[in-house]
Amino acid sequence: MRICRTSSKAVGAVGAVKAVKAVKAVGFWWLTAGPAVAAATAQTLTQDEALRLAFPPPATIERRTAFLTEEQLGRAKALAGPDVDVTSRVVTYYVGHSCGPSAPCGRSGRPLGVAYFERHRVRTLNEVLMFVVSPEGRITRVDILEFLEPPEYRASPRWLGQLLGRGLDGELSLKGAVVNLTGATLTSRAITRASRRVLALHQVIAPLKTPSP
Amino acid sequence: MRLIRWRRAGAALAVTAWCTSGLMAQEPDTTEIARLKAQIDAITREIEELKLGREVVARADTAQYGLGPAASKVYRAPEGVSLGGYGEVLYEHFREVREDNQLSGRTDQLDALRLIAYLGYKFSDKFLFNSEIEFEHGSTGRGGEASIEFAYLDYRLSSRLGLRGGVLLVPMGLINELHEPPTFLGTTRPLTEQVIVPSTWRESGVGVFGDVGDLAYRVYLINGLDAVGGGSSAASGFSGGGIRGGRQNAARALVEELAGVGRLDYTGVLGLTVGGSAYLGNSGQNRTVTTAGGSVDLGARTLIWEGHLAYQWRGLDLRGLFAMATVDQAAALNVARSLTGAASVGERMVGWYAQAGYDVLRSTRTGHQLVPYVRYERVNTQDRVPAGFAANPANDRRIVSLGAAWRPIGNIALKADYQFQHNEARTGVSQLNANLSYLF
Repeated sequence: MRICRTSSKAVGAVGAVKAVKAVKAVGFWWLTAGPAVAAATAQTLTQDEALRLAFPPPATIERRTAFLTEEQLGRAKALAGPDVDVTSRVVTYYVGHSCGPSAPCGRSGRPLGVAYFERHRVRTLNEVLMFVVSPEGRITRVDILEFLEPPEYRASPRWLGQLLGRGLDGELSLKGAVVNLTGATLTSRAITRASRRVLALHQVIAPLKTPSP
Repeated sequence: MRLIRWRRAGAALAVTAWCTSGLMAQEPDTTEIARLKAQIDAITREIEELKLGREVVARADTAQYGLGPAASKVYRAPEGVSLGGYGEVLYEHFREVREDNQLSGRTDQLDALRLIAYLGYKFSDKFLFNSEIEFEHGSTGRGGEASIEFAYLDYRLSSRLGLRGGVLLVPMGLINELHEPPTFLGTTRPLTEQVIVPSTWRESGVGVFGDVGDLAYRVYLINGLDAVGGGSSAASGFSGGGIRGGRQNAARALVEELAGVGRLDYTGVLGLTVGGSAYLGNSGQNRTVTTAGGSVDLGARTLIWEGHLAYQWRGLDLRGLFAMATVDQAAALNVARSLTGAASVGERMVGWYAQAGYDVLRSTRTGHQLVPYVRYERVNTQDRVPAGFAANPANDRRIVSLGAAWRPIGNIALKADYQFQHNEARTGVSQLNANLSYLF
C-alpha cells in the first residue's frame, strides 16, 4: 500500500514535470513564433506579393504608366499640399479588375481599385509602401513592403489603419485627423505625406476614367 | 462611252492603288507602335525598379541559395549602416535677482548642449546594432564630454520577444528613451526627469523586449546605481539634489550590486501612451560604512517608480508624469558621503509635472507648427530625510514654464520659454531660455 502511494506520487510528480515542460514549450513557442520577424524589421513583401494581397485571384491586375504634363504635375503638387514633394512625371500604377463567372476578365472587368507604390526616406533610410485607392478615391489598404530604419521607427498596423477610408482633404495630415506616431514622428510624417502624394496623383491621373492604353 | 469606262477604270485603279499604298504604309506603323510600346514598357519598368528598389520589384519566386522564396528574401534585403543624429543649442538668461530679491549671481549662458550621432548596423533581419554617441557642451577640453549614450545588440526572435544587450537606456519616464529635443515641448527637460529619473540614464546590461498586443514591455538587468561614488567609480553619488550623481554611465561601472528595471506601456489608442516603470536595486555596491552604531553593510536599496501619460490629438499635446524614489539606509549613506544637516540624501523623493501645448497653426495649410505650451512641475528631492538630518527647503521646488515651440518642419524646432522658478527657501532664479534643435 505504501509502495502504491509512493508510486502514485511519483507518477503525479512526473505528470507535473511534464505539464511544466509543456507549458514552458508552449510559452516559448508563443513568444518566438509571434508575428514574423520580417514583419517587424525589414522587407516583408515583394511588389508581386503585395499586389496579390490587394487584388487576390481571380482578379486580374493591369500595369499602367501615366506620363504627366507639366500642368498635371503642377496640379498634383497643388493638391498634395505645400510640404509634399511631387517631382516625378512618370507614374506607374496597377489597376485591379474583378474577374468571375458573372464578370468579364481583364481590362473590361469591374475596377476594384488602383495600387500605387511609394518609396521615400524616413530618417536616412527608405521605406516602400503600397497604397490601394478605391474607385471612390479613398485609401483602402496600406502595406509596408520594405522598411530599412531600425524597427522601433516602423509604423504599426494600428497606426496605418487610421489612413484607411481617408480621401484627399485637410484631415489627411498630422495637423488634421492623423495622429502622430509616438517616438517615430519622422515615420508618421513621411507616410502621411506619401498618402497625400498618392491621392493627389490619383486625382490628376484619374486612372479609372482614363481608358487603358 | 469607252472613254468613260476607261476613265472609270482608271479612277478605280487609282483609288485601289492609293488604298493599297495606305495599307502598306499602315502595316509598318503598327509594328513600329508595338515596338515603341514594348520599349516604353521596358523603360517604365526600369524606372519603377530604380524608384522602388530592385529588392522590392524582384519576383518572389526567384529562390536563392537553395532556400524557398520567402526564406531567401533575407538575402535580398539590403543590410548595412543606418545613420541619424540630433543636436541642440541652449541659451539661458537668468534674472539678476532671486525670489527674495537678493542678487542671484547667475550669468547668462549659451551652450552647444548636445550633438549626437546615431549609428546602427543591420547584420540581418534578426540581428541589429544600434548606438548613440554624444558630444556635450561643445568641447571636451572645456567641461564637455564625449559619451556613449547607448550601444546595444538586438536579437529579435519575434515581435513579441527580443533579446538586448550592451549599453542600454534605462526604460523609465517619457524622456530617457525619447530625448530628441524637437520631439518634446520645453527648452529643457523636466526637472523630475533629471533628478529622480536621471535622464539621460544609461547603464550596461541585458534584457528582453517586445510587444504583446497593445502592450509594449522591456525588462533589463543592469549594473546598479552607485549611491556613494568616488574612488574607482565614475559616479559622484546621491545627494540632497537627487540621485543623478549615482549614474555610472557604463564607465567602468561597479557591479557588486545588480538592479532590475521594467517598463510596460499601453498603446491601444492612437496617440496615447500610458504606462509605468520601476527600478529596484541596491546602490551601496557592497560597501561597508562605520557609523556611531558600528560597521554597517551599506545596501542602500533604491526603488524608483513612475507612471506616465502622453497624448497627441489634433494639434493637442498633453503629457504628465509622476515619479517617486526611495533610498534605504539614507542615514548610513550620509555618513559614507560625509553629508550632514540639510545636505542629506532624501529617503524619499517625489516629482511630477503636467504639460499641455496646442498647435495654433493647425488649421492653416502651412506645414509649420507653432505650439504655445505650459508646464507645471513640482519636485522635492528631500521629501523625507532620515532622523537627525534636515531637508533643505531649496530642494522643494515649483517650476512654471510658459513658452512656444516653432517647427518649420518636423525635424527642426526653435523653442523659447520663461521658467518661473520657486522654492521654499525663496532662492529660486527665474530664467528665459531659447533652444534651437534638430534631428535627422
